[in-house]
Amino acid sequence: MTPRTRVLMSIAYWGFALYLFLPITMMVMMSFKDSKFIGFPIRAWTTDWYGHAIANGEFVSATAYSLIVAVSSTVIALVMGTWLAVLLARKSFWGRGAVFALTMLPAVVPGIISAISFRIYIRLVDLDPGMIAIIFGHAVHNVPFVALVVGARLGTMPRSHTEAAQDLGADPIIAFVRITLPYLRPAMIGAAVFSLLLSFDDFVRSFFLGSYEPTLPVLLFSKLRSGMSPEINAISTMVLIVTALLGLWAERSMRRMNKG
Amino acid sequence: MTSTTDTTPPARPGDVPFWGRVANSRGYGRFSDAMLSSPRRQFVLLAAFPILWITLTHLGPLVQMFRVSLLDAYPPTRDIAPQFSTEHYAIFFQDRLFFAPFFRTLVFSTTLTLITLILVYPVAYFLARHVKRDNQILFLLLLLIPFWAGEIIRSYALMLVLGNNGALNMALRFVGLTDRPIPFMYTNFAVSFAIIYLTALYMLLPLYSALEKIPPSYAEAAADLGAGPLTRFWRVTLPLSLDGVSSGCTLVFLIATGVYAVPVLFGGPSTTTFAETIAGFFHVAGDRWPTGAAFSMIMLVTALTIAMVFNRLIRLLQKEKRR
Repeated sequence: MTPRTRVLMSIAYWGFALYLFLPITMMVMMSFKDSKFIGFPIRAWTTDWYGHAIANGEFVSATAYSLIVAVSSTVIALVMGTWLAVLLARKSFWGRGAVFALTMLPAVVPGIISAISFRIYIRLVDLDPGMIAIIFGHAVHNVPFVALVVGARLGTMPRSHTEAAQDLGADPIIAFVRITLPYLRPAMIGAAVFSLLLSFDDFVRSFFLGSYEPTLPVLLFSKLRSGMSPEINAISTMVLIVTALLGLWAERSMRRMNKG
Repeated sequence: MTSTTDTTPPARPGDVPFWGRVANSRGYGRFSDAMLSSPRRQFVLLAAFPILWITLTHLGPLVQMFRVSLLDAYPPTRDIAPQFSTEHYAIFFQDRLFFAPFFRTLVFSTTLTLITLILVYPVAYFLARHVKRDNQILFLLLLLIPFWAGEIIRSYALMLVLGNNGALNMALRFVGLTDRPIPFMYTNFAVSFAIIYLTALYMLLPLYSALEKIPPSYAEAAADLGAGPLTRFWRVTLPLSLDGVSSGCTLVFLIATGVYAVPVLFGGPSTTTFAETIAGFFHVAGDRWPTGAAFSMIMLVTALTIAMVFNRLIRLLQKEKRR
């Protein structure tokens, strides 16, 4: 590799990083700006907008609503994703290809179509738009990701572990609970964090499956359509920091786990 | 199984750990005798519920959407049973009004996927090849920070850049290229820019993991045999990274076709995408669900077909190169 291409490549990387970071840096800066007008130049700084955002009941209840949805849908996705991964770990059974394809199906259906199909489906099962519908939609969307992450970990597990347990008298269920589950734990924690973040960030499903009470992304969306306000900067900055920390932590531990 | 439980000496509850107590309990014994006695029963216990789940919740909604698309009216009115009808598919092929957003979405998604690929490939290459192994995760994580904040928050951040008082206009005015703000928002440019911003990382991750797997010795061997940098890239690195190219492109393409918030926030009347068209049938109080369902089916089938054809082409290309 010649030094010149090396320099060009590093310019590409840092340019890309700048491209990704410039918008969110702007947003963070604007959240500290002491003026209702959003834009440069910034003459005075303040942290008041954070106080306003926290005191605003709308944001607080939307965040709580989003959190309940995220946690419930993650529990469902974690159970079903892990279960499917364990099923798919069996190398050959009749219809394995079909089971795999159906497991991954929600991951390849474009967002708007997934949202619309759920909207039609909950009408069939007589479920009104609302929290249960959103939880269901998010859970289904997250199952493939859990199944992929847990399945990858399951693939690295030596067979001898469960065989030893069964030789010592554990039946398959006890062996699963006492040997396989502890082995899968890091992957399941990682998958759970990703699932939480995916659900907390999701807009299109919450938008079409929700009733009058909005999740946080839906609330922010409707605020954005009616115009910007400095409070949005503050609330977005807080969400950015929390999600980035959680995501970084999960990503790092997952990549370490896979390395060895 | 039962023989081991029988021969276990009776122990005081305190001595036996929790799972041992569960395994030795009479109720569990009966359950395990009934369910685990043959491999066949074990498999049924393992497979029944997940297969039920994927059939009902993964496949069910799409099947029901397809059914509704073939009814003349839905939700059904009280007395009249809905009739079979293909009129809603006909609407799409008869009315030119819907062609424009459909093709705009396809052209958008395809071009943006290619642009993203070209933009992100050097970044992934740099990460996988030029950064030291130990630092690679760090450099990758840095790029992932904005990723977790979600679609809406990142869209908002981007609006701060593209707006009339945004960073881009500020910079242009500062450099002196313009004296009036250029209206970037509500144009095709804004929508494209935002979609690339939101999807770039879905391209980066598969590309990086494909490039990372290629041993550097391959390129060195090619160099020893006299291949220049371009030949090395074209004949060695690129063919070996095609897996990453195909999964990255598929992901970005499918996300780009289904994105709804971005065209609503960044687009104007001249940039209507098919996602907005479909959503329109579900916002109005009137009974247009079957039309929306039919349009969703058309889009789903088209998008998945394009993705599959693309993947097949890459497969063929890989076989060709391997020869």
